[in-house]
Amino acid sequence: MSDFGTALESGVRLLRGLPRRRAHVAEARRAAAAWAADHPGLHAQLVVDERPGTPVVDFDLLLSDPEGGTVALTAQADDGVPWLIDHSTHWAAGQLVTVDEVHLSVAQALTMIRSLSRRDTTPHDEIVDQCLILNEIAGDDGPIPGEELQAAADDFRRGRGLHDRASTLAWLAEMGMTPAQFEEYIGGIARRRSFRRRKEAELGPARLAARPGDFDRVRAVWITGPERAVAAGAATLAAVHGEGTAALAELDGEAETVIAERFAADLPEPLCEAAPGAVAGPVAHGGSFLAGVVLDRTAAREDERTLAAAGRVAFTEWLAERRSRAAVEWHWS
Amino acid sequence: MILILSDRRDDAVALVLPKLERRGARVTWWDPGEFPARSRLTAAFADGGHRIVLDTGAERLDLAEVRAVWRRRPNAPCPAETVTDPSHRRHAVWQAEFLLDGAWELAPARWLPSRREAERRAHNKIIHMARAAALGFRVPETVYTNDPAELVPAYERAGGGLIAKQINSDEFTLDGADHRAYTTVLNRRHLTSRHRVQHEPVILQPYVPKAVELRVIVVGERVFAAEIDTRASRTARDDWRHYDDDRVRYAAHDLPDGLERACVELTASLGLTYGAIDLILTPDGEYTFLEINPNGAWGFVEQRAGLPVSDAIADWLVAADRTAGDTADHTAGNAADHTADGKTDHE
Repeated sequence: MSDFGTALESGVRLLRGLPRRRAHVAEARRAAAAWAADHPGLHAQLVVDERPGTPVVDFDLLLSDPEGGTVALTAQADDGVPWLIDHSTHWAAGQLVTVDEVHLSVAQALTMIRSLSRRDTTPHDEIVDQCLILNEIAGDDGPIPGEELQAAADDFRRGRGLHDRASTLAWLAEMGMTPAQFEEYIGGIARRRSFRRRKEAELGPARLAARPGDFDRVRAVWITGPERAVAAGAATLAAVHGEGTAALAELDGEAETVIAERFAADLPEPLCEAAPGAVAGPVAHGGSFLAGVVLDRTAAREDERTLAAAGRVAFTEWLAERRSRAAVEWHWS
Repeated sequence: MILILSDRRDDAVALVLPKLERRGARVTWWDPGEFPARSRLTAAFADGGHRIVLDTGAERLDLAEVRAVWRRRPNAPCPAETVTDPSHRRHAVWQAEFLLDGAWELAPARWLPSRREAERRAHNKIIHMARAAALGFRVPETVYTNDPAELVPAYERAGGGLIAKQINSDEFTLDGADHRAYTTVLNRRHLTSRHRVQHEPVILQPYVPKAVELRVIVVGERVFAAEIDTRASRTARDDWRHYDDDRVRYAAHDLPDGLERACVELTASLGLTYGAIDLILTPDGEYTFLEINPNGAWGFVEQRAGLPVSDAIADWLVAADRTAGDTADHTAGNAADHTADGKTDHE
């Protein structure tokens, strides 16, 4: 046999021995490099074919033909793996996350990201929350009322500055969405919003009854900033309750001041249950320091605005509880 | 009495059940997976006759009263947890399956889609493809083989546009992870491992260009066709079972009359009263047959394409329940929907 024939035989043996898994490609490259060093005249190069959706890889070995040109070698041993199984796809290929019964594809996740809006959480957590809601509405296939669709579309467009048809169509073209896909997409948003509204209305009254103090209307002043400035301002806050907000003019300019009326549950945590006139803080809060005083507290009443606030809090708590029970599996590899 | 044989978590049953109740039907939903562990079945022969009683744990059912059976997704019989020896468990399953098969055979009921054996036969792709071709369906040039030498010629005949599919879906793992064998569009790389074909047979077909895919649901004589437009989805374009619902469009589809009739005939000729037929409508307007699933999914046909399949199933079961059952002749039982004049009692 010629030297080249012998090298070809050796190359086949090399290929048959390489580990056909993505995780072992570096090992395969080292073996091929060693083989190339032993056959310097052939300019051997290993080509790694990483198939999508499977850990299986294929190899080719490119060699210079002594008579000119290139010879490509490929070889697979008979390892007893049937052909369709060798070419199969991981069940979660192309998927980002599975939350209970919902499998979210990468494409769906990218679409979903366009509608994420919460600033109090990460996209990672909000995607899971959206999937939890998708689980809840999986069997919800009734028609969506036109006004809900319109409201969802209007909010979506307003949030992106798409104030007319031309700008909306241009945005769709940029995103690669057809008008029909956009309609479907908005339908999904409307369905999720509708579920949230229903759930808030369902849970709100009980939440209000359980802890009405969370929904007291509270007028308060609080300052945030460096510890020194907040500590210095605490004494001023004590005066604010008796003497009025004019005293705030004496505060150190480094502290940020907020005067607001909020539901107790929406206040910074140190003020939630504080009695009028009692200065809370300074305490560490959200990366800086906070001190505050409650000016006035009115007991919760069962009106529309309060029930809506209780519904929002109850929904957040329901979602957190639902998340704690969910089976979440991320498919990063 | 209507008996539904299916897993307790079956969403399809949950869709149909309220419709049966609205129609005033008496229904029992039972999963054979509860037998023999939690249910009792007794077939007693005396005085030249027999009586078969199923005690589900919640109620006792004389199978002579069952007129319609919907065999959806029943689990296999399962012994009690206290039966621990694997050989004892296998033995218990084997005995239970035999008794169940016999009991169903003797129950004077009409079945949707059919008894187990008929369904198993109809599910076989070679059998139903031969039947479809005989009935005039356009069928792609198809090879079922485990001969590696067939691969390259098929690839060349298809002009390089060849797909591979599995003959029957089943679970398997690769490196310990669940994998799927979807419809695979072949490239030249696939040919280089042709020797692997010898290890199990595969289906090889030319890639059929599609305007839309169709899932046609046949319930007795009623036909519901949903088109599945996957052209906008890179993920689901070659196999809609990748479910990319944001980019896949579903809609009701009007089949030509002759084809609709052929779908009913194909289903009936396989001894079925229900079938989910997959077709492709090519860009030049030709309908091509792919396969029929005797118990194929229809939920998305109803939910995404708005076709009332659950009502049709409820109608069929109620009509069968109100018709006097036949005897133990299950062939006649299933063929009863297709009388000589093509009319049924529930049209």
